[in-house]
Amino acid sequence: MISEELERRTHDLLMRAAQVYHGHPNADGRLRHTLDRFAGPLRLAVAGAGRTGKSTLVNALVGEDVAPVGQADLVTYRDGTELRAWSRPEHGRPYEVPVARTSGGLRLDTPVPRAVVQWPSRVLRRTELIDTGPSTPPGQVLPEADAVLLLTPRIGEPDLDFLRAGRGLRGPAAFPIHVFVVLTKADMHGDGLPDGLLEARRIARRRRREPAIAALCQDVVAMSPLIGHAARTLRDDEFRALAAIAALPRTASDPSLLSTDRFTAAGALPVVGARARLDLLQRFGLGGIRLALALVRTGAATTSALAERLQEYSGLKDLQASIAELFVARRAALKARSALIVLDHLLRTERVAASGHLLAELELLLAGAHDFAELRLLSALRSGRVALPAETAREALRLLGGAGTSLGERLGLPTEATMDDIWAVAEDSAERWRREAGLGDRTPAQRRAAAVVLRSCEAMLAGAESMPSVTG
Amino acid sequence: MTSWEAGTTASTGPASLIPHPRPAPDPLRGAATGDPWWMDTMDAVIRTCQAHGRADLAERLTRRRARLLHPQLRVLVVGPAQQGRSRLVNALINASVCGVLPDADTGVPTVVRHADTPTAHLIRRDSPAADWTAAVGLQARIPLVPERLGASLAEATAALPAGAPVHVDVGVPRSLLAGGLVLIDAPALTFAAPDRAVTAAHDLADRAGADLVVYTCETGRQLSDDELTVLTGLGRSFPGLLVVLTKADYAPDWRRDLADSRLRLNRAGIPAAVAAVSSSLRLHAVRTGDDALNRESGFADLLVHLRKMVEAKPDRLARATAGALGRLAIQELAVPLRAELDSQGDGFSSDAAAHLQATHRRLDDLRKCTVRWQNRLSDEVADLMSDIEHDLRERVKALLAEADEFFTTNDPAKSWDEFEPWLREALQELATTSMTWLAERTEWMARRTADMFPPEAGDVLPSTALAITDGGTLQGVSTLDAPPVATFTPGQKLFIGLRGSYGGVVMFGLATSLAGMSLINPISIGGGALFGGKSVRDESKTLLKRRQTEARNAVRQHVDDIFTRLNKDARDSVRRAQRALRDHFTAVTEDLQEETMESLRNAKAAADRDAAARDAHGRRLRDELTRLAELHTQAQALTDRARA
Repeated sequence: MISEELERRTHDLLMRAAQVYHGHPNADGRLRHTLDRFAGPLRLAVAGAGRTGKSTLVNALVGEDVAPVGQADLVTYRDGTELRAWSRPEHGRPYEVPVARTSGGLRLDTPVPRAVVQWPSRVLRRTELIDTGPSTPPGQVLPEADAVLLLTPRIGEPDLDFLRAGRGLRGPAAFPIHVFVVLTKADMHGDGLPDGLLEARRIARRRRREPAIAALCQDVVAMSPLIGHAARTLRDDEFRALAAIAALPRTASDPSLLSTDRFTAAGALPVVGARARLDLLQRFGLGGIRLALALVRTGAATTSALAERLQEYSGLKDLQASIAELFVARRAALKARSALIVLDHLLRTERVAASGHLLAELELLLAGAHDFAELRLLSALRSGRVALPAETAREALRLLGGAGTSLGERLGLPTEATMDDIWAVAEDSAERWRREAGLGDRTPAQRRAAAVVLRSCEAMLAGAESMPSVTG
Repeated sequence: MTSWEAGTTASTGPASLIPHPRPAPDPLRGAATGDPWWMDTMDAVIRTCQAHGRADLAERLTRRRARLLHPQLRVLVVGPAQQGRSRLVNALINASVCGVLPDADTGVPTVVRHADTPTAHLIRRDSPAADWTAAVGLQARIPLVPERLGASLAEATAALPAGAPVHVDVGVPRSLLAGGLVLIDAPALTFAAPDRAVTAAHDLADRAGADLVVYTCETGRQLSDDELTVLTGLGRSFPGLLVVLTKADYAPDWRRDLADSRLRLNRAGIPAAVAAVSSSLRLHAVRTGDDALNRESGFADLLVHLRKMVEAKPDRLARATAGALGRLAIQELAVPLRAELDSQGDGFSSDAAAHLQATHRRLDDLRKCTVRWQNRLSDEVADLMSDIEHDLRERVKALLAEADEFFTTNDPAKSWDEFEPWLREALQELATTSMTWLAERTEWMARRTADMFPPEAGDVLPSTALAITDGGTLQGVSTLDAPPVATFTPGQKLFIGLRGSYGGVVMFGLATSLAGMSLINPISIGGGALFGGKSVRDESKTLLKRRQTEARNAVRQHVDDIFTRLNKDARDSVRRAQRALRDHFTAVTEDLQEETMESLRNAKAAADRDAAARDAHGRRLRDELTRLAELHTQAQALTDRARA
C-alpha cells in the first residue's frame, strides 16, 4: 500500500516529465528509457574488485554456471525462454550476438563492452542480475542498477569510495537503501576452519554497526561465494566423494586436510581419486571441504541435506534472505529511487519552463516517501544500530514490512482477517507506537524509530480506509 | 613447504645474500672482527651530508650506523591488515604473543625479544616520532601479565588515551631469539593515500629500528601496484627485504601465486626474496611435534634464513645496508646539485645579463633620439623664421596704416613733435613685443626638442634662459627728423597774395573801367584782395598736401628700415638660438652617450664576472658531483662485496 502509492506517484511524475520533455534532444530518450526500466524487473548489480568472487556469487544466486561471460565487462542476466545474448553498446541499438556455453561460463564470439544474456531461470524472473568487470567504475555501475551488492574481502577505502559515490547529498540519492556490502572470503577466517565462517559473520555484524559504514549501506553480510556456489550446484558424485572421506576415521583424514598440498598429494585419501580431489578443491576450497565434511559427519546424509546446510553455513541463505526482504520485496521503492535520481538530475540540468514545477512535485513526493525511511529503519533495527527491547523490535520489524509488505503480514493477521480486524489492530498498534514515541526514557534514536513505525501504522490505517473492498 | 626460492635473477640484489658462501677474506684488509670498511664509507657519507647542510639525513644515517653496530637483528614484519603478520610472528616463536586483542585491525605493535623468563610490558613512547629502541622511564613501562597477555593488554590500553604511541615489549625464552633476533609485529599498513604510504612505511621501519623488513601478503591475491611502490622504497634502504606469502596451506595455487609474485617483483626491479609459508601448519606441526609438517610449512627455511641473517648482520648485511644507505643518501644529495647544474645550462638569465641587455637597448635609443631631435630642431627653426617674419610684417602694416591715418588729418609741420615720439614709442613697443614673442617661441622650441629625448635622460632643457635678443630695443634707431618741407614764409605769402591779387585787380579794374571807373578803384582793389586771399589759401593747401605726402613717405621709409633691421635681428636671434640649442643638445647627447657607454662597460664587466662565477660554480658543482659519484661507487662496491 505504501509502496504502491510511491510507485503510482513516481509513475505519474515520470509520465508528466515525459510529456514536458517530449522531443527534447537530451531528455526524451533518457526519460523513455527510465520509464521502460521502471516497468521492468529489479536490476541487482554485483560489483567489487578483481578476484572477490563476483561471478561465483552470480552463479550461486542463479544456481547455475552462467558467469563469467568471457569478453564482456558488464553483463546483465535476465529471464527468458532460451539462451540468447545481445550486445548493448552505450550509444546505438542492441544487436544479437552468438553465445556458447562452455565449462567456465558463457562465451561470446566477439568482444563487447556490455552484454545482455537471456537465461531461463526462476531466480531472474523478478530480478535481473548484473555482473560487472573488476575495474568498472561506480559511475558506470550505479546508473545501470537499482540495487548493488558490493563484494570485498574487507571493507577498505576504495569500497567506502564506491559507497560514497552512490550516496548523494540530497534528493532521492540521499537514502543509501540500494546497497549491501558482502564480505567475501568468509571461509578464510580463523585458518579456514568451520568456525571461521561464524567469526566472519561476527565481524560483519560489527562492521554494519559502525556509523561510517552504516550511513552508506543497508547491510553488511559475510559469506563465501565459493562454498555457496558449490552448495547451490552440489552434485551427487561430489557428495559421494565427501561422504567417503567423512566415513574415514578422523585420524586418517585430518592430516590430509591440513593444507591444499596434502589434500591433493598423490598418496592421500585413497578413497577418492586424485582428479576428484582436485575438482573438489577447486569447487569448495579447503575451508569448504572441511565444512562439508563436518556437516556430513554431523548428520547431513543426503546431497540435498548437505546442500541445504552448506548454503546456510556459507552465508548464502542469509544473503538471499536479505536480498528478498530488503531488495526484492521493496523493488518498487528501489526502482522509484533510481528513476527519481534520473529525473532529479534531468530536471536540474535540462531546464525548461515546467521543470521548476516538476522539481517541486518531486521534492513533495520525496518528503512523503515513507518507504525510504522504513527501509533505513529496517536496516538499522536488523543491524542493531537502533536498539529496542526484543519484543518491541520484533513488532517494529513486522510493522515496517520486514516480514512481508502486505497489510496482513505487517499487522500479523491471518489472511482471512476481516476489514474490521485489520482496522482494530492497526489502530491499536498506532496507539501503542504513539505512546512509544512519547516515552521520556527513550533515547532520541529510539524515539525517531518509534515515529517512523507510527507513520507506517498511520499509513496502514489510511490504506485500510481507502480500501473498503478488502475481504475477510 | 619447500617454498624457499631466491629471486629468478640472481643480480636483483640481496635476494641472493644467503645461498652463497662467505667470500674469502681479503688478505690486504686483514679479516678483523666484522668489516670496518663499511663504517669508513658510511662516515664519509655522513660527513658529506653534513657538509651539504643535510643534518636530517646525517642524523638518520648516524642512527642506522649505530644500529648496524648493535648485535641485535631487528626484523620488522609489515603488511596490510589481515595478511597474517601476527600469526607469522606467533608461528615463528610458537607463542601467542601478537594480535592478541580481538580487534586485529587496531592492534598494538609488538616487539618480541629473548628473555630468560617470560616478561611483557606496554611501552608508552614520548611521541609518535620517538624511536622505539630509545630507553623509556619506569612510569612509561606498564607491566603486563605474560600468561594472560590479551586481557591485561586490553586493560592497560583501555586506560590510555586513544592513539597514544605505544607498543608491547615481550620477552620469551626461545633459542631462536637468543642469538639476538628481535621480531617486531608492526601495525597494518594502509593504502588510503598511496603517495604517503611509502613515507609511512619508511618512517615506521626507521622508528622501529628495523634492520630487516619482512613483508607479508596472503596467497590468493596479487601484490597491488601500491604495495609494489612501498616495496620498492623499502627495498632500496633495507637490503635483504623478504616478501612472505602467508596462508599457503589454504590456497590451491600457491605455487603459481609465488611465481607470479616473484615475476612482479622482478619486473618492478625490487631486490626481494619471496617465500611462501603457512603459519597454521607450523603451529600444528609444533603442537604435534611433526617434523615433516614443519618443513612443509616453509618455516624451517625461514628460520634458517633468519639465523643466517643474524650471523650476517655484522658483516654482509651491515655492508649491504651501508652500501644501500650510502647510495640513497648520495642520490638524494645529488638531486639539488644536478638541478642547479641543469638550470645553469639554461643560458644567460641572470641580473647582470639582463642589465647588459637593457644598457644596449638604451644606447640604441639614444642614437635614434639624436636624429630625432636634430630633425625636430631644424623643422622648428624653419617654422619660427617664417612665423616671426610674418608677424613683424603684420605689425608694421598696422603701424603704417595708423601713421597714414594720422597724416591725413594733421599737418606734419605743426604736429610732428607730437607724432615723432608716438612713432618711436610704437616702434619700440612693436620690437619688444615681437622679440618677447620670439623668446617665448624659442623656449617652446627648446622644450619641443627636449621632448625628443628619452624620459630617463632627465631634464635636458638648457638651464640658462636663452639670450636670444638684446632685449628687443631699437638701439641706434635714429629719431625720425621732420621731413624737409617748404615752410610758407610771410614773404612767400605776400608774394603769392600779390600775384593772385594782380589778376583780380586787373579783372575787376577792366570791368569797372567799362563803368568808367579807373582801373584801380576800390572795387578792383577789393576784387584783387579777394583773389589774392584765395591764391594764398590755395597755395597753403597745396603745400600742406605735399608736406603730408612727404611725411608719409618719410615715415614709410623709416619704418621699412626698422622692419628690415628688426627682421634681421630676429633671424639672427633665431639662428643664434638654434646654434645655442644645437650645441646644448649635442653636449647633452654626448654626455648621455658617455654615461651609457660607461654603464655598458660596467654591465659587460659584471656579466663577464657573473659568467665566470657561474663557470666556477658549475665547476664546483661538477667536482662535488664527481666526489659524490666516487662515494657512490664506494658504496656500490660495498653492496657488490656483500653480494659476492
